[in-house]
Amino acid sequence: MKKNIYQPVKAVIEEIIEESSTIKTFRLKPEGDFSFSTGQFIELTVPGVGEAPFTPSSDPGVKGSLDLTIMNAGEVTSKLHSLRKGDAVGLRGPYGKGYPLDTFKGKDILIVGGGVGLAPLRSLLFSLFSKINNYNKVVLRYGARSPKDIVYKTSLPDWAKMERVDVLVSVDIGEPAWQGNVGLVTTILGNAPIDFTNAVGIVCGPPIMMKFVTLKLLDIGFKPPDIYLSMEKSMSCGLGKCGHCRLGKYYACKDGPVFTYEQLKDIQGIWD
Amino acid sequence: METYFLKNDDLLKFYERIAQEYELYVPVRSRLAYKDECGCKPGFPTDDYFLRKFSQVNKEDIVFSDYRCVEPTRAFFTHYKEEVSAYFEDAPLKEKRERPLALCGIKNCDIFSLKIQDFVFLEGDETDQLYKTRRDGALIISSDCPHFKEVCFCRAFDINPYPLEGFDFNLAPLNNGYLLDVASPRAKSIALSLKSILIPATLGQLSGRAAKRESLDLRLDEHLKQYNIPKKETLQDTVLSGYNSGIWNDEARTCVECNGCVFMCDTCHCFLLADEPSAQNSKRLRLWDGCLFKNFTRVAGGANPLRLRYMRLRNRFLKKFDFFISNLGMQACCGCGRCIDVCPGKIDIRRILRKLYEEKHLPTS
Repeated sequence: MKKNIYQPVKAVIEEIIEESSTIKTFRLKPEGDFSFSTGQFIELTVPGVGEAPFTPSSDPGVKGSLDLTIMNAGEVTSKLHSLRKGDAVGLRGPYGKGYPLDTFKGKDILIVGGGVGLAPLRSLLFSLFSKINNYNKVVLRYGARSPKDIVYKTSLPDWAKMERVDVLVSVDIGEPAWQGNVGLVTTILGNAPIDFTNAVGIVCGPPIMMKFVTLKLLDIGFKPPDIYLSMEKSMSCGLGKCGHCRLGKYYACKDGPVFTYEQLKDIQGIWD
Repeated sequence: METYFLKNDDLLKFYERIAQEYELYVPVRSRLAYKDECGCKPGFPTDDYFLRKFSQVNKEDIVFSDYRCVEPTRAFFTHYKEEVSAYFEDAPLKEKRERPLALCGIKNCDIFSLKIQDFVFLEGDETDQLYKTRRDGALIISSDCPHFKEVCFCRAFDINPYPLEGFDFNLAPLNNGYLLDVASPRAKSIALSLKSILIPATLGQLSGRAAKRESLDLRLDEHLKQYNIPKKETLQDTVLSGYNSGIWNDEARTCVECNGCVFMCDTCHCFLLADEPSAQNSKRLRLWDGCLFKNFTRVAGGANPLRLRYMRLRNRFLKKFDFFISNLGMQACCGCGRCIDVCPGKIDIRRILRKLYEEKHLPTS
């Protein structure tokens, strides 16, 4: 008999890191082998409550554990935020198509994140950092609502110090102590040190942010096939069967969640 | 394919033979009083048919159904609510039914719909094992439609009211009996054991069946003229170009979001995985879901791409006539009319498609 596609495997919470008042990173240790490619997602089961889709935020190269950075936003996540180290959760996956790292080789990579959308991008950053010589440059532009909403606060300055890496953070609403840029993330894209003729743009964040970043990237010279969007939808089964995440002729869970803008540009209502 | 003549009096023997190996379901008639005032045009049948367990019905209640049954065929392959997994137990769920299914009274619209269900639950690397077990084991005993309901519109999409493939057996009423097509190896082995009641069909009988089929085609085509349903080749363009049409909002006004259209639909397949807590080991359920429900695409935090009712109605059409045509080369609509029959808001898929088509193609005054 073949495997049961709806069955989660057990994973134990090894560590919980508080990123902000509403966001925590959970380090999970799954039973048995579990690996993923950067950009793929998993279905996380909180026992007795249900499942929700998340893209791991850790380095896919690290075997034996994975990190999920999760905002307390709904039924499953609020219960998850009340769990403790040692508690058991379930995992299914990984599902979908991740980032095509091979096609990024030799290019400038502009990564634009919004809010907790930096979580899946952190996994991508780790993948890029591990073979940084394959790429010309990695430029991260990150926007958060306010300084206290910034995730990976301690990592961001470390990343900024790395060779070939350029990091800039902006917040929508500043605070007296905030020294950085104030304004939407689109305001720090125009002067990014990027050779737009040989670059890819990678975007992850809330739909409205993705829309305006995409328009901005097109405006500054990116071509639709070079813009990669992480289209998170209400993905329930992850298998291309349950029908919740339809996006035109695609399912976000199976054909995505990473799409090029070229794939999506003719579909109506993609930013809804 | 071999074809035999089966006398009326021997049909029960045929059923009994199938029931030896299978859990057989057969059509029974339901006469509902309110149907007399249902607003159907005079001259159209108002009776309905249900599939019931052969072992539990009075044999005199078994009928030959003139058209498709009320319940969608998919209900036999994915149940409305069923357990599909328990946490962390590495034991695939087994089908609870002891014997495989045999479904009698399946029509060609139902067979068309099964192609959609097969695509969803069987194709690709990830197979739904419960569906596969049921589907692989099921014996499909289809039949010709001698009549049609007012809501039937299969021919609009080039689906005939009589099956030519996708069945094990097919029954077509003729004179005082039935022509029985025997298609699959397992049907052949059953037929072998029924030699005494199966008489090879004559050319005359075969042409008699052909004439009946042709006559029904003509009658149905004549009936459908008034609806002017767009041809299947134009469906995708019709719904895509009508994306911003006001028709969606106009039509959604009488929708009460009951999702009857979805649950009666034989090509709809969407489901929700929901977990049922228990003290020991929670269960995971697969529940039929409907895209007319407000929360169908809602995500944590409250964002909802299909937040308005007209968007959800439009989504249903885009799924049927854009998504499936792009991915499978066929529309996810078999023309069975169950959604029209069930809708308390009198929303008619034939009317919406026609209005969208006309909006695009007819000159505006």
